[in-house]
Amino acid sequence: MIAVIVRRLLRLVVVCLGISLITFLLLHLSGDPVAMILPEATEADRAVLRETLGLNRPFLAQYGAFLGRALQGDFGQSFFHRTPALPLVFERMPTTILLTVFAMVLAIGLAIPAGILTAVKRYSIIDHLVTLLVLLGQSMPVFWTGIMLMLLFAVAWNLLPASGWDTWASTVLPAITLGTFQAPLFLRISRSAMLEVLGLDYVRTARAKGLHEWVVIIKHALKNAAIPIVTVIGLQFGVLLGGAVVTETVFAIPGTGRLIIRAIGQLDFPVVQAGVMTLSLIIVLTNFLVDLLYLWLNPQVRIS
Amino acid sequence: MKERLTMRTAWTIRGCRKGVLLLLLMHVLLGGLVAVAAEPDTIVMALNRDQDNMDPHLHFQRTGIIMNINMYDSLLHKNPQLAYEPSLATAWKTIDDTTWEFTLRQGVKFHNGDPFTAEDVQFSFERVLDPATKSPQYGNIRAIKTVKIVDTHTVQLITDKPFPLLLERVVFFPIIPKKHFTQVGAQAFAESAPAGTGPYKFVEWKRDQYLKLERFAEHWRGAAPVKHLVIRVIPETSTQVAELKTGGVDIIRNLAPDLIPDLKAHANTYVSTAPILRTHYLAFDMREPPFDKKEVRQAANYAVDRKAIVDKLMGGLGLVLPTVVHPMAFGHDATVEGYQYDPKKARELLKQAGFPNGTDITIHAGVSEAFFRQIAEAIAEMFTEVGLRTNLKLWDPGPAWDKFFRGEGKATHGYYGTWGYYSTFDADAILHPLYHTEPGGWVGKWYARVQGLDALIEAARSTLDKDKRLSTYATVQRLLKDEAPSLFLFAQHDMLGINKRLDYAARGDEWIWLYDAKLRK
Repeated sequence: MIAVIVRRLLRLVVVCLGISLITFLLLHLSGDPVAMILPEATEADRAVLRETLGLNRPFLAQYGAFLGRALQGDFGQSFFHRTPALPLVFERMPTTILLTVFAMVLAIGLAIPAGILTAVKRYSIIDHLVTLLVLLGQSMPVFWTGIMLMLLFAVAWNLLPASGWDTWASTVLPAITLGTFQAPLFLRISRSAMLEVLGLDYVRTARAKGLHEWVVIIKHALKNAAIPIVTVIGLQFGVLLGGAVVTETVFAIPGTGRLIIRAIGQLDFPVVQAGVMTLSLIIVLTNFLVDLLYLWLNPQVRIS
Repeated sequence: MKERLTMRTAWTIRGCRKGVLLLLLMHVLLGGLVAVAAEPDTIVMALNRDQDNMDPHLHFQRTGIIMNINMYDSLLHKNPQLAYEPSLATAWKTIDDTTWEFTLRQGVKFHNGDPFTAEDVQFSFERVLDPATKSPQYGNIRAIKTVKIVDTHTVQLITDKPFPLLLERVVFFPIIPKKHFTQVGAQAFAESAPAGTGPYKFVEWKRDQYLKLERFAEHWRGAAPVKHLVIRVIPETSTQVAELKTGGVDIIRNLAPDLIPDLKAHANTYVSTAPILRTHYLAFDMREPPFDKKEVRQAANYAVDRKAIVDKLMGGLGLVLPTVVHPMAFGHDATVEGYQYDPKKARELLKQAGFPNGTDITIHAGVSEAFFRQIAEAIAEMFTEVGLRTNLKLWDPGPAWDKFFRGEGKATHGYYGTWGYYSTFDADAILHPLYHTEPGGWVGKWYARVQGLDALIEAARSTLDKDKRLSTYATVQRLLKDEAPSLFLFAQHDMLGINKRLDYAARGDEWIWLYDAKLRK
């Protein structure tokens, strides 16, 4: 058991190193930030700046220096914000995490009960209706859903603010937008997982014991069906942290995704590196936690 | 079966009723909480991106300039008709060809209470001129060699050679308080303690979210009419429009032409537009075939129906230009006539140039606004129509920027983009970046190869003699028309969407100067 955990932790370190190297390489291939910082300067001025920023040194030397500083939590100064890069990212994290959590809670709260229901009442009208909704939910792009919700709830009905992130009311539409996009996936997974489990012998045994149908479903079937559901939720959490950028843009939310996208456009190396590394670390850690949950949920993994 | 159906219907109806109740409940709960009604004595302006930091010398972006002008004064100001007005300087004159003397306003205070003196002016200029500051505004004022204090309220700006653009450059050059800046340090000044002499003072900044300002009661013009100014960052245009209609925001800029009819018709909003310097052009790569031949460049100019583009794609809000020199800019020659739309002539010229069956070209377009894409596509169609079969490549501004700054300006055949003159109302502000071949310029260094043009541009920018400059620019515009180093297109308008509770009009310099804005009762 401990050996499994240690092995996974080691793998985690290797993954992080790999990510840092790829990010660094891609960034350096993508362009010259000096031209972005000093658009109207002479070549001589640019050479001076390149020297101060250390951009004229060989690639591996630059990467080594970056890694050394990054391990101490120093990603350097943002070229444009002119302030340390890592705090810039940390400043945004709570917003993005909150948005992701709201959306996930909403999606899970809707999708799992609905998934169970459609599995239990397979081929009923409810099942068909829900399938239709799933199809709709998955085919609506996030920016479209967001703008439609905004037009209805803010412009037409004046119920909620159109954008921003200052009152709890302003969090409602973005959470629904992002949640709607996630829910169908969770629903399909929980439906198929439940269907698979419900056909197994032990469920029949539980029923034969005379247990109430809902006890059979919630207590016996759901625990086993939970393994794939937890996996997908864990993976999606990571995806949303960096991938909520469309929702953030539509609703003018100052999240991490927007910070990083803009930094990429400006070739603001320190911010991109700090952002990508922070997000990857969170994603890798979430996956690690999912693995641990797995161990707890599935005794087979524990034994082997 | 029938029974079950009835039951199901009943369930559905009950469900509906629940839904309605829920909606009503939401309405009661949220209705009270959401401040959709506009705040009293406050203007809310939306911009699509934030300033990187609050230091007015460390950026050169339009949105940053719009924020800064409301917080900082410069030596000069422009009125809505774009004539110079005194600001921190009350009088100005040239002592000789390279020395400009400014008399400074007395009794002006910075937001923190410090008095404004010549030392602050000297400090501000020297700071940007110091390469260690890495200011992106350096290029604008690098002609200034010395800033000399004559007495506490007189300064001289001394340039290395005659520099006719000097007055234009000091209209946006924020003056910051030397003492305060040195005390709090660059970092704090850029984040939490910025101070100027402008009509609004700093209250709070949340990066990428909002900037809150409050009017400066002791401003030398008198206090601004509206007490609070909130600048919100809303990247998405449709979101800005939704906020404008619901009254969450009072003023938005950079409207796409197709949004204008909607905002004109809406009960809460109106549109204000003004011609601006932003000029659309397509630079031909004159180093390579087919655009090394003058006939091909002229053919391209005959091939495009500019009026149709302005009418159909810009909602009529555009000014067709004979060359790239805008009528609002110093140096414009009204007697130069532009190319007329004449596809037949275009085909003939192509034949003369040795392309009877036309030729294949690639054009790259920097699409910084969504509607630029449609314009680029229309041009490509019209080119193809006469035989310049165009393969169009569209670029986001970031990557486009990179592509044209690095290496050899790799865009084959041509680059479509716009140039805003940095709001400098002088022909030099577009001729030099577009056509001068010196390294460090804009696309000119890559694409333009017109014999004698460099020398003419140099001559016009290094004398203060207005008549001499005018006659040189007249020659330049005739040469441009004939040599056609670019596809000459049109200049666009500034397009603002404004809530009806606010009284404001768009300006020709793309400034949003909210000292002039008033709330209607």
